[in-house]
Amino acid sequence: MADDASPPTRRPAASVEVARPPKPEEPKRKPGATPFLLDFYPLEDERSTRVSRFFDSLREGRFTTTRCPKDGLLWPPRAVCPECHTEALEWTELPGRGHLYAFSAVLAGAPLGMEADLPFVVGLVDLEGTTLRLFGRIVGRPWNECRIGAPVRVEPYTIDDGRVFFRFRVDGP
Amino acid sequence: MTSLRRVALVGGGATRFGVRAATWAELVQEAGAALYRALPELAEVEVDSLFVGAAEPERFAFQSHVAPLAAEQLGIRPRRILQRTELACASGQSAIRSAYAAIASGLSDIAVAVGVEKMNLPSMAEANTAMACVMDRAWDGVHGATAPPFFAMVAQRHMLEHGTTEEQLAAVSEKNHRFANTNPTAQFYEKRFDREKLLRLPLVAPPLRLGDCSSMTDGAAAVVLVAEEHARRFTRTPVWVRGTGQYSDFHNLAHAGSLTEWRGLTIAAQEAFRGAHIGPKDLDLAELHDCFTISEIVEYEALGLCAPGEGGRYAAEGRSDLGGEVVVNPRGGLLGCGHPLGATGIAQALEVYQQFAGLVPSARQVPSPTWALVHNLSGSANVHSVMLYGGAA
Ligand SMILES: [Zn+2]
Repeated sequence: MADDASPPTRRPAASVEVARPPKPEEPKRKPGATPFLLDFYPLEDERSTRVSRFFDSLREGRFTTTRCPKDGLLWPPRAVCPECHTEALEWTELPGRGHLYAFSAVLAGAPLGMEADLPFVVGLVDLEGTTLRLFGRIVGRPWNECRIGAPVRVEPYTIDDGRVFFRFRVDGP
Repeated sequence: MTSLRRVALVGGGATRFGVRAATWAELVQEAGAALYRALPELAEVEVDSLFVGAAEPERFAFQSHVAPLAAEQLGIRPRRILQRTELACASGQSAIRSAYAAIASGLSDIAVAVGVEKMNLPSMAEANTAMACVMDRAWDGVHGATAPPFFAMVAQRHMLEHGTTEEQLAAVSEKNHRFANTNPTAQFYEKRFDREKLLRLPLVAPPLRLGDCSSMTDGAAAVVLVAEEHARRFTRTPVWVRGTGQYSDFHNLAHAGSLTEWRGLTIAAQEAFRGAHIGPKDLDLAELHDCFTISEIVEYEALGLCAPGEGGRYAAEGRSDLGGEVVVNPRGGLLGCGHPLGATGIAQALEVYQQFAGLVPSARQVPSPTWALVHNLSGSANVHSVMLYGGAA
């Protein structure tokens, strides 16, 4: 693509300052770990995603997401607002509590990595004081003892390789 | 839209659906055999375009670049358009819509739309993994969001908001399984289910039982769409594409809104009906996406076949059965035929063609149909795709 007539833009090699980005490190994988392309958990480090702060905060026990100054709360955390397309998003803390809007359970037919969890409960949670209704794993109560409206709280947890994620724990009747 | 050419559906063929001792490529070959048996004229013309509906061959068959692979299985060498269409559970209908668009615009004259999925693997956990990738994998799939628990929540809310019952769900399942008993290509052709038996089947994702859920199915189907001037070469009973519509407004489950009002289907159907100047009550038959019994119930309502909340009763009163107001899923539906994702939309269109041509057994023949609608949802009902077909005119 270079135009032969234009002056060279590269400086002599000797004067090039070495300012390469750090060499990407492979996230630590245990032998026999699920291959990346069969692993549901997102890659959360800053080399892999622009919302690594979500996971950093979660590790510190804070449940956060991105917020557009104009369009409000965005879920999941994003790099760009889908309405006004600004990249100037802010991080904001979400309430760690909510109520079950709907739920069911997976009694058979789990994906890889979730077979040992069977049977497990999933549900939609109305986050207190927000308009967000998030899907998630529900723990702490078997499905036949859950009820719509039950209070739940966000619970961070770590997986084998040190990555962090969240689920909801039933917190009352 | 007035400058678009008229497009005819002129026939097709399908494999047996089920747990099949055949690979992805072999299923395409079988669909080709069925297609050329049904339409021997096809061997004498040039198929200029091929559209391949395939949802997850990368997962289920560890294969990408499937359009030329499918073309080779069929012995078709397209000179105009060769492409794969992927829209999860609606991948097959996407192939048909693309073929329609290509022919209507003048880019193609004779196109084949083939759909295929090979879903039964030695490891069903891997197959379930593929299904959970249909959702927003990193934020929803990761929690275990496959289709059954999502549609179970739809059923839970519909029961809460409208008093829908397990018996009403079973009425949908019984009807579609009974129709499947007339369809030798159906996964459950030989299996009988009455309502009492359905209500005793094990829970999969409460309140949904095994009989409320469509299956993991291997299968393929192919249909031919042609420009008007070629239609009579293939059939005396061409079926015309009279409208099409599609709507999607979310993907992550956080944006699903009401679980029980599928506004996207209402919008897609209105778009499909618009050009034909008809409405839902004019339909003679509808192939609706009954991936779960509750889906068919919500679809009656979103389409306007009945009032919101009345879907359960609509099924239980037989209004969607043969002899009712609109015959829904005479092919046997996804519940009775199984649901090979890419093949389903093609097999539904094939049923419409065969119904109009009077080629189906009398036990499921809709008397002299004029209008038919085909609907597919995909994912968490976050996309709705609709085709409207009309007979002689
Ligand atoms: Zn914005």
